Amino acid sequence: MQPTAHLFPRNAQKALADKTLQAALGRATGRFLHHRAEAVAAFPGFEEARERASEVKRQTLARLDQHLGRFIEEASRRGAVVHVARDAAQAREIAARIAKEEGVALAVKSKSMAAEEVSLNVALQEAGVEVVESDLGEYIIQLAGEPPSHIIAPAVHKTREEISRLFERELGEPPTDSIPALVAMARRHLRAKFLGAGMGVSGANFLVADTGSVVLVTNEGNGRMGTVLPRVHLAVAGIEKVIPGMADLPTFLRLLPRSASGQPLSSYVSILTGTRREGDAEGPERMHILLLDCGRSAILEGKYREVLKCIRCGACLNSCPVYQSVGGHAYGWVYSGPIGAVLTPLLVGLPEAAPLPDASTLCGACGDVCPVKIPLPDFLLELRSDLRSQGLKTPGEIAGMKGYAGVMKRAGLLEALERVAGLLAQFFTKGKPVEGLPYPFSGWTERRDFPAAAAQPFRKQWKNRRGAQG
Amino acid sequence: MRGVDERELLFRRLSAALGRHGGPAGAPSPMGPAPPPAGESDRIARFAQALAAVGGVVLSGTPEEALPELGEALRAQGVTALFFPQGDAGARQVAEALIPFGPFTLTTGEEVRGGDPAATAGFRTAEAGIAETGTVVESSRGGGTLLPGLLSDVHVALLPSASVVERMDEAFALFAGDPPRNISLVSGPSKTADIEQTLTVGAHGPKKIIVLLV
Repeated sequence: MQPTAHLFPRNAQKALADKTLQAALGRATGRFLHHRAEAVAAFPGFEEARERASEVKRQTLARLDQHLGRFIEEASRRGAVVHVARDAAQAREIAARIAKEEGVALAVKSKSMAAEEVSLNVALQEAGVEVVESDLGEYIIQLAGEPPSHIIAPAVHKTREEISRLFERELGEPPTDSIPALVAMARRHLRAKFLGAGMGVSGANFLVADTGSVVLVTNEGNGRMGTVLPRVHLAVAGIEKVIPGMADLPTFLRLLPRSASGQPLSSYVSILTGTRREGDAEGPERMHILLLDCGRSAILEGKYREVLKCIRCGACLNSCPVYQSVGGHAYGWVYSGPIGAVLTPLLVGLPEAAPLPDASTLCGACGDVCPVKIPLPDFLLELRSDLRSQGLKTPGEIAGMKGYAGVMKRAGLLEALERVAGLLAQFFTKGKPVEGLPYPFSGWTERRDFPAAAAQPFRKQWKNRRGAQG
Repeated sequence: MRGVDERELLFRRLSAALGRHGGPAGAPSPMGPAPPPAGESDRIARFAQALAAVGGVVLSGTPEEALPELGEALRAQGVTALFFPQGDAGARQVAEALIPFGPFTLTTGEEVRGGDPAATAGFRTAEAGIAETGTVVESSRGGGTLLPGLLSDVHVALLPSASVVERMDEAFALFAGDPPRNISLVSGPSKTADIEQTLTVGAHGPKKIIVLLV
């Protein structure tokens, strides 16, 4: 996917003006947060599991070469073909080659952020493969001809009436205002695709080193369909998805659905190990696992290593006041919310994603909910610091910060300026908030009022008060 | 082959990133046991409670006692055809005994896979139940088929009471060493909230899961 993260301010404004999106976002994030809080309260071991998951991930990353080596060895031993892609272009090349060599005409795909990261659909389509998104929300978006969104609720902006008209036009279905009827229509059309597809494309929630297994977690069950029925299974995953053993899996399965949607466990978990065995009733004859580096080994080397602990639950998104206001698309790439604001600059480069670390109030909610304890608020601050030290700042910012530092170092000067500001405020606005400042400060007052300076500086008021009381 | 080169290059990048070369291979699982389970009261009751909480139904008693209720539940879902794995005697017995409670006909997994549009109930003996989450475990081990829980409109899982374990860890231990191609954990019906954030069952798989404790 082509990043447009540098357009965050413009995209965010567009999102804020979108009434449908605003209503849907408020409902969605509120619902997720509420369910998460209930699920966490009902599970006394949550904090302990969090601690343990964080530690397992930390230790695994510290020996990622060994665990990944083990994963590749075990998966290969059980019939899977493991591919490694250095970057997105190479991942697309490999996927297209797999589709061609396997003679695939139709592929069913379940949601995968990794696949989206490298625009896997484009590669498969260019190789002549029809790719059908099988997650219901993504299917709707694909029918509508919109690009896949890969956020938790992709079709959140579409009403049932719009979806009914879409199904009428694209699938020849009769109109309906019943949601179960719409789901049943999609089920019927997608069932035919599942039964006819030559390849199922999936992501991976976890890769188990000990056994070479790919673990998929879904509620709809589309990931399960696509990995049982088609002849070929292609799993796409970042190299950081590996966990040491099956014994570690329960901890992560206790955390992921609770953090994502507030469920004790999602409806379906599939643990997929190698190709179908001799005597098996079903399952793919061929399994390909495409491992993506795409900037991850570089992250591993630096101070942001712990961001690779992420299990993509989305809890930080729902808890973030910025995400709650602007939604996922504004972030301009695959990953949104606080994790996106950290991960996107690291994966696509800080200059391209410069506005994202600032898209945060630093309230700390993301760090509090993260099931693997990624220090997201610290990382956001650190990235802001990197950004400034790389010289990505405006002349206004430099002058402003220098002036601010100069004043703050001199108490007398500060007080004098406060008195002047107080006089000006009395004169211009009679102490009411300032609704419009002149350039270059006009940006500040475009969307909010600037509080007027008090007639007397705080320290003066404090002294007077103490005097009156004492 | 190019893939092999890329793999080597990746491992070089990883060793460089981690600031070391080589080292002992096969690092053990780094941590001790998982958080302890809730109190050790009746495991079966906890299993039933957890499954009910996610919209599943648990029927117990002898199959003869459960049949009328099961038949009614299937009719309520519009089920007209039943299927079960060829080698699963328990599932066959229950499905065949249900016919008088229908109108039900028998079909096969192959028929359903071939695109038979009838509303079906898929029967299968499950390998384990997990009380912690109300989960049914089914795998491809020993030629086992997942189609009854995958393609049906209602999935009926036969679960021996003795196979219900307390925690996920114990269920995974059953497959330790050499796991089969597919271990499937089922905890409730197939569901989606993708249209107007309204929870709807039967997105792709079963709209209902019924566990028959045997």
